[in-house]
Amino acid sequence: MRITLLLFTLFAFSLPANAGMFSTIDDRANQISAQLEGNNSYHAHLARELANVAVEEKGQHDVTAALEFIRMAEDHAAQAGGSK
Amino acid sequence: MIKRIITLTASLSLAACAGYTDINIGVDELAEARAAIADAKTAGAERCAPKLQAQAVASLYWAGHELEESGNYDAGDHAEEEAMLVARAVAKAKEAKAASKGACMPEIIKLSGIQFPHDSARLTPAATAILDNAVKTLQKRSTIKVEVAAHTDSSGSNEYNLALSERRAASVMNYLGTHGISSSRLTSKGYGESQPIVSNATKEGRTANRRVELRVMN
Repeated sequence: MRITLLLFTLFAFSLPANAGMFSTIDDRANQISAQLEGNNSYHAHLARELANVAVEEKGQHDVTAALEFIRMAEDHAAQAGGSK
Repeated sequence: MIKRIITLTASLSLAACAGYTDINIGVDELAEARAAIADAKTAGAERCAPKLQAQAVASLYWAGHELEESGNYDAGDHAEEEAMLVARAVAKAKEAKAASKGACMPEIIKLSGIQFPHDSARLTPAATAILDNAVKTLQKRSTIKVEVAAHTDSSGSNEYNLALSERRAASVMNYLGTHGISSSRLTSKGYGESQPIVSNATKEGRTANRRVELRVMN
């Protein structure tokens, strides 16, 4: 029974991890930073700020908030048009 | 007991997988920050003080998130953080508004590396490669209008440099226009030697001053 419970727990927590929810916020924030290098438009700055918030929320273990903020950051990065 | 643990585990997993609703910044507690940001935007802060305005907006959204978590602005563990974020949003927006008063420099999209042959407005292959990237940027940022601004160093007379820069600006604008950018989004202007970015005393300085850039006009 204990083994079953252990396996179930591992499986249950592996789902969000496998979906990249625990491991990719930092990567996505870094990607935004690289993508917007040299871009000083409003949307570029906002994308960076929101990505920082996402990383901060992830640090506080609020993964859902981190995902929302990184999604917003990516939206603004797209509006900023990337690097220049 | 085991059933409870399984239920708790499953609930945590589902909670982690659940989508996050859009952050609500329309609540009364954020009214002051919203108003300050709107004021700054009206004053042109997105163009004139983009970093400050972005910091204000990000703080507003963060405060909105914290508010949703606690459910009450005046209570809960997040109250202090919410108040700090709202205060930051208001302060940054006011700074942005103040920085936007009077004339401010337009956003400049640098076209680093564009050089022309001596006394010529002909585009080299290296220059067109840079301009192809500029075309992509302008296609992504489809709402902006730009002025193609060309500059020379101080060698030669003012009149000669002004005329040369006008020809070079027109050449770049023509390239952008023939590569998919609507002419209604483009203007060109030659500034001659009037706006150096470094001293013209050295060869490196003169090379840096001979440049073309895109000035965002809206």
